[in-house]
Amino acid sequence: MEQVIGLLANIWFVLLGVILALYVVLDGFTLGVGMLTLFSPTEERRGILMGTLGSVWDANETWLVLLGGALFGAFPTAYALLLHALYIPVIIMLFGMILRAAAFEFREHSETKRFWNLAFAIASLVTALAQGVALGSVLQGIPSVNGAYTGGVFDWFRPFPLVVAVGVVCGYALLGAVYLILRTEGVIQTRARSGAYWLAGLTFAVAVAVTVWTPFIYPQVATKWFSLPDFFLILPLPVAGFAAFLLLLRALTRGHEAAPFVWTVVIFVASFGGLAVSLHPYLVPPSLTLIQAAASPATLIFMLTGIGMLLPVMMIYNGYQYLVFRGKVTVPGYHH
Amino acid sequence: MANTLILARSQFALTALFHILWPVLTIGLSLFLVVNEMLWIRRRDPDYYRHARFWSKLFILNFGVGVASGVPLEFEFGTNWAPFSAAMGDFFGNILGFEGAMAFMLEAGFLGIMLFGWKRVAPKIHLFASCMVALGASLSAFWIMVANSWMQTPAGGVMQRGRFAVTSYTQAMFNPAALWGVGHMWFACLETSLLVIGALSAWYIYKQRNLAFFLKSLKIAIAAAVLVAPLQIFLGDGSGRVVFQQQPAKGAAVEGHWRTNPPGTGASWALVAWPDKARQRNDWAISIPGVLSLLATHSFTGQVAGLKAFPPADQPPSLPLLFYAFRLMVAIGFYVLALMLWSLWLWYRGELTTDRVGRHRRWLIAWISALPLGYLAVESGWIVREVGRQPWIVNGLMRTAAGVSVLPPGTVLASFIGYALLYTLLLTAFLVFARRILRKGPDVTAEPPPLKPTAPLQVNAPVPHAFEED
Repeated sequence: MEQVIGLLANIWFVLLGVILALYVVLDGFTLGVGMLTLFSPTEERRGILMGTLGSVWDANETWLVLLGGALFGAFPTAYALLLHALYIPVIIMLFGMILRAAAFEFREHSETKRFWNLAFAIASLVTALAQGVALGSVLQGIPSVNGAYTGGVFDWFRPFPLVVAVGVVCGYALLGAVYLILRTEGVIQTRARSGAYWLAGLTFAVAVAVTVWTPFIYPQVATKWFSLPDFFLILPLPVAGFAAFLLLLRALTRGHEAAPFVWTVVIFVASFGGLAVSLHPYLVPPSLTLIQAAASPATLIFMLTGIGMLLPVMMIYNGYQYLVFRGKVTVPGYHH
Repeated sequence: MANTLILARSQFALTALFHILWPVLTIGLSLFLVVNEMLWIRRRDPDYYRHARFWSKLFILNFGVGVASGVPLEFEFGTNWAPFSAAMGDFFGNILGFEGAMAFMLEAGFLGIMLFGWKRVAPKIHLFASCMVALGASLSAFWIMVANSWMQTPAGGVMQRGRFAVTSYTQAMFNPAALWGVGHMWFACLETSLLVIGALSAWYIYKQRNLAFFLKSLKIAIAAAVLVAPLQIFLGDGSGRVVFQQQPAKGAAVEGHWRTNPPGTGASWALVAWPDKARQRNDWAISIPGVLSLLATHSFTGQVAGLKAFPPADQPPSLPLLFYAFRLMVAIGFYVLALMLWSLWLWYRGELTTDRVGRHRRWLIAWISALPLGYLAVESGWIVREVGRQPWIVNGLMRTAAGVSVLPPGTVLASFIGYALLYTLLLTAFLVFARRILRKGPDVTAEPPPLKPTAPLQVNAPVPHAFEED
C-alpha cells in the first residue's frame, strides 16, 4: 500500500511539474510581452505586441487554473499550506492577473488607451514579481506542523525570495523577447533581439546567484547535490541549461527566428528539472513530503484516469490553436 | 479569529457573488452563438452570421471579466480556507481539478479560434470551436455545482483523522443535491442569458433600429425561454424539496418556519414575515395554512421540521436575508413565466412581424426591463444556498469557523478592500464599454466567409433564404 501511494504521488509530482512548466513557459512569455509593452514607443507597435497574444493569452493563463485545481486534488495539504503561507504574494499575483485580463480586453475598446496600457504592463510586472517571490519563498522553506502553516504573513519579505523574484521577471521578459522574435518582424523584431541579449545575461546572472545561494539557506539541497549518486543525476541539468544558454546567444547572433525561443524554453525546462530533483521527496520544504501531502489513492487514481488522460488532449487542441494563428503579426490589435 | 472569520466570509461572498455574474451569460450566450452559427450554415441567411459576430463582441467583453474574476476563486479556498482545503481536498479539490481540465481548458483552447478565427478556418471548423467553447462553459457549471452540492449534502466517503476520504466517487459526485443543483444552475444561466438577449433585442426594436434583424434574435430568445421558464420552476421546486429532506434547518430558515407541524396538520407558509433569531420566532407574519407542507413534501399534511427543532448554534444566521432573497428569486421565476406566456400569445396572434411588433410598446418595455431579473434571481439563489448552509462549511461534517485560515484580520481586510476596488473598476469599465458596443449596434452589411456550395449541410436546408434575399 505504501508503495502504491508512493508511486501515485510521484506520478502526480511529475504531472504537476509538466503543468507548471507549461504554465511558466506559456504565461511566462505572455507576462514577458506584457512587461515589454512598457517600452513600446508608439501605440501601433504596442498594438502589434498585444496582437501576438490576442488568441492565446486566455489559454496560457488557464494552465495556472488547472495547476491550482490539480494541486488541490492531488496534494490538498500542500495546496492549503502554500496558499495560506503565501497569502500576500498570492493575493498580489491575483490582483495582477485580474488587472491584466481586464486591461487587455478593455484597452481594445478604449479611446484613451494610456490608462489600460499602463495597467496591462504594470499588472504583468506585478504578477511576475509575485510569482517569483512565491517561488523564492518555497525554496527558502515554509515552516509547518502537520501541514498547518506556523510562520508569519511577511515571511516572504526577505532577500532571497526578492532576488528570485528579480530572476523570474528577467526570465519572463526574456521569454517575451524571444517570442516576439518569432512572431514579429522589422524594427520590433530587431529591438526584441537586442533586448533578448541583455535579458539572457541578467537571467543567467541571477540564476547563478540563486543556485549558489540555495544550498546555504537550505542545507538539505546541499546534501543532495553533493552526494552520490544524486550528483550524477542532477549534473546533466545545469550542464544542459548552460549549453542552452550558449546556444541561445549564438542563435541570437546569427539572427535565427525560432531557435532563440527553443533554447530559452530548454533553459527553463532544465532549471525546472533541477528544482524538482532538488526538492524531491519534499513537495513543500522543509517538512512536507509528497506522500504526506498526497490525497487518498482512490482520488489519485480517479484523477489520473480523468485529468491525466486529458493532459495530452489538452496539449493537442492548444497546439492546434497556436497552429491556426501561426505567422507574423503585422497589424495592431486583436479584434479582427 | 472572529474578525478573520467574518472578513474571510465577506471576501468569499464578494468574490463569488461578483464572479457568478459573468459565467451565467458566458454559458447561455455561447450556446446562442452556436445556434446562430448553425442557422447561418443551414439556412444560408447572412443575418445569423452577423448576429454571431455582433453578440460575440459582448461575449468577449463579458468573458474577459469572467476570467479575471474567476481565477481568484480557484485559489481562495487555499488562501482563506486552508483547514477546509486540507481536510476536504480529497474530493472537493479533485473536482475543481476536473473543472480546470475538462471545462476551463476546453473553453480557453478554442476561444481564440471562435473569436478571431473566422477567416482562418473553414466555417465548419469554426462551428466546432464554438461548440467546444459552449461545451466547456456548460461543463464548468456541471463541475462547480457538483463540488458545491457536495458541501450541501456530502456523501460517498468517511472522515478519517479529521480528513474526508472518498470511498465511492459515484455517491460523492451524484450526492442528493447534485443533479437538481446542476440542472437548476444551468437553467438559471440559460434563462438569464435569454433575458439579456431578448431585452437588448427588444431595446433595438423599441428604438426602431434594425428592427427586422433583432426580431430574429428576439424570436430565438422567446422560443427558448418559453421552454426554459417553466422547466426552471420545476427544477427549483425539486431543489427545494431536497433542501427540506437533507438540510431541514436551512429549509426552515428560508421559510421562517419555527415550530414543527404536529402529525395530521399542515405547516403554514409565510408569504411575508420578519424572522427574528434572537427571539426564536417571527416578529410578524402573513401566513397561508398548509402551503409549506405542500411545497416541501407535495402533501397537505407532510411534516416540516421547524427551526426550534435545532439548537440556535446549528441554525443559519441572517434569517430575514434568507427569507426575502428566496422570495425574490421565486417571484422573478414566476414573473418571467408570465412574460413568456404573454410573448407566446402575441406570437400566436401573429403580432411578431416586422410591421406589427413595434406597436406593442408595453410588451417591449416589459422585455427591456427584464434584463437584470435573471442576475437578481441568480444572486438571490446563491445567497439562499450559501448563507443557508451556515454554520457549516461542509454540512454536518465541518463548521465554517473550523475551516478558516489563521491570518491577521488586517491582512484579510486589506485583500477584501483590494478586491472591492478592482471589481468596482471592472464593473464600471464593463458597463461603459458594453454600452458603447450596444450603441454602435451590429454591422448589418458584414459579408460572411463563403460557404462551400457542395457543403453536405445544405442538402437538408428547407428554404434557401439566400436566394430569396438576392
